[in-house]
Amino acid sequence: MIILALDALDQNLVETFNCKNLMQKEYGQTDITNFQEPRTIVLWASFLTGKNMEAKIPIEGQWKFQLNKEETFLRFFKSPKTIDVPACSYKQENHKEERILLKAYFNENATIQEYDKLIWKNHEKNKKQFLNSLGKHDLLMVYFNLADAIGHLSFGIYSKMKKVYTELEDLAGELKNSEQFTLIISDHGMKAIGRYGDHTMNGYYSTNKTLNLNLPKITDFHKTIKSAKK
Amino acid sequence: MDPHLADLEKRSISIIREAKAQFKNLAVLWSTGKDSTLTLWLCKKAFYEKIPLPTIHIDTGYKFPEIYEFRDKIAKEWNLNLIIAQNKQALQKGMSPKNGRLNCCTKLKTEPLKKLIENEQFDALLVSIRRDEHGIRAKERTFSPRDEDFRWDYKNQPAQMWDIYVKPAEDYSHMRVHPILHWTELDAWQYVKEENLPINPLYFAKSGKRYRSLGCHPCTVPISSNAETIDQIIQELKITKISERAGRAQDKEKAYMMQKLRSLGYM
Repeated sequence: MIILALDALDQNLVETFNCKNLMQKEYGQTDITNFQEPRTIVLWASFLTGKNMEAKIPIEGQWKFQLNKEETFLRFFKSPKTIDVPACSYKQENHKEERILLKAYFNENATIQEYDKLIWKNHEKNKKQFLNSLGKHDLLMVYFNLADAIGHLSFGIYSKMKKVYTELEDLAGELKNSEQFTLIISDHGMKAIGRYGDHTMNGYYSTNKTLNLNLPKITDFHKTIKSAKK
Repeated sequence: MDPHLADLEKRSISIIREAKAQFKNLAVLWSTGKDSTLTLWLCKKAFYEKIPLPTIHIDTGYKFPEIYEFRDKIAKEWNLNLIIAQNKQALQKGMSPKNGRLNCCTKLKTEPLKKLIENEQFDALLVSIRRDEHGIRAKERTFSPRDEDFRWDYKNQPAQMWDIYVKPAEDYSHMRVHPILHWTELDAWQYVKEENLPINPLYFAKSGKRYRSLGCHPCTVPISSNAETIDQIIQELKITKISERAGRAQDKEKAYMMQKLRSLGYM
């Protein structure tokens, strides 16, 4: 099984840029209105456990929140591999550096170009690791924050987001002929605030098998993954 | 007059007259900056000296003293029907940029204007924004509908083909009309020179600094400049690579985004 966890992937842009590989056989929005705030760590922890984890993850120190493997669907697999997954194998140092640069931008101490460069650099590292891990595990779950991180400062800029979605579309293309169950999922969507991007309360999912889901919650996929494993 | 400026003027006057004809209760916003003063001047030309519209000035209480002096002088000389809107309650409670710039702008600029629109039942406002000021303003149209919370849906704006301005039948609270949307900063200064318009002295350099865009004094910083006359400002604009609003502390969207990212724990 392969899970492509794409932070902030938004259905509107998937359709706007006609990203066929990201759409797969079935695709649609997820509903996260059962959460107070669309917080990245909370949403991915909830996806992994199948439970709403909002109350258990205070905002202070949230990025360091770590789940026990036994609490997650990883326990259903013999040789699961996760790459940079929040609350699991999150690359703390890389993301901390990104947040420092994000803050520096708002304090006029860094440019968007410097910030974007770092995001793409970290993305390339994960991509390499992901491509090297394909076909070696009964579950491969990889997280990419490219759409979220670039989107926060540039969601209103069409050309930049097109580049991001083209990159993610190419990544999904690597899984195109996979016979394994493939789930592409985002935690939340994004909307433009001028040039910037803000989280929305609808995530995105797509699968290479027909499941006939209707606006599922992010926690619903726990069951889907469990039964797909069987 | 320079044919380019004459063309800009003609188009703006036509927009102002069109707005007056289409809306029952039109007003003009005036910050006292060069652009809104230019719009007032165009109104004078459009209606042959006497401006038949209320002129609204939003007084945040944090404006430069030169702004108040300029406002009162011009209001008297041009015989303006001036309405000053202020959120006195918020000021009495100590609202200032220290409470967060976005919060301060909302309380001291947006709320008093909302209240005034509601009390006076204005259905349209002449607003002096220009497309070249800011990326997002490039998406503006001349007739720009707003809802009751001043929200602007740039994906759902009335079509404006062949410079025909039509107001939507419904789904808007008031219309923003932008008569100088098609001007550039340089056009504005060249017109100021051509028409010898009165200008706030803050625009002219003193000790190597001048203001290029006027706002509230805690949130506006001067730029480095030696331009002491309009001619020197025009020369400066022809070679500058610094954006007009670089002296403004924060764009609203940037401030909003920073606040949101903080609430999500990013910063």
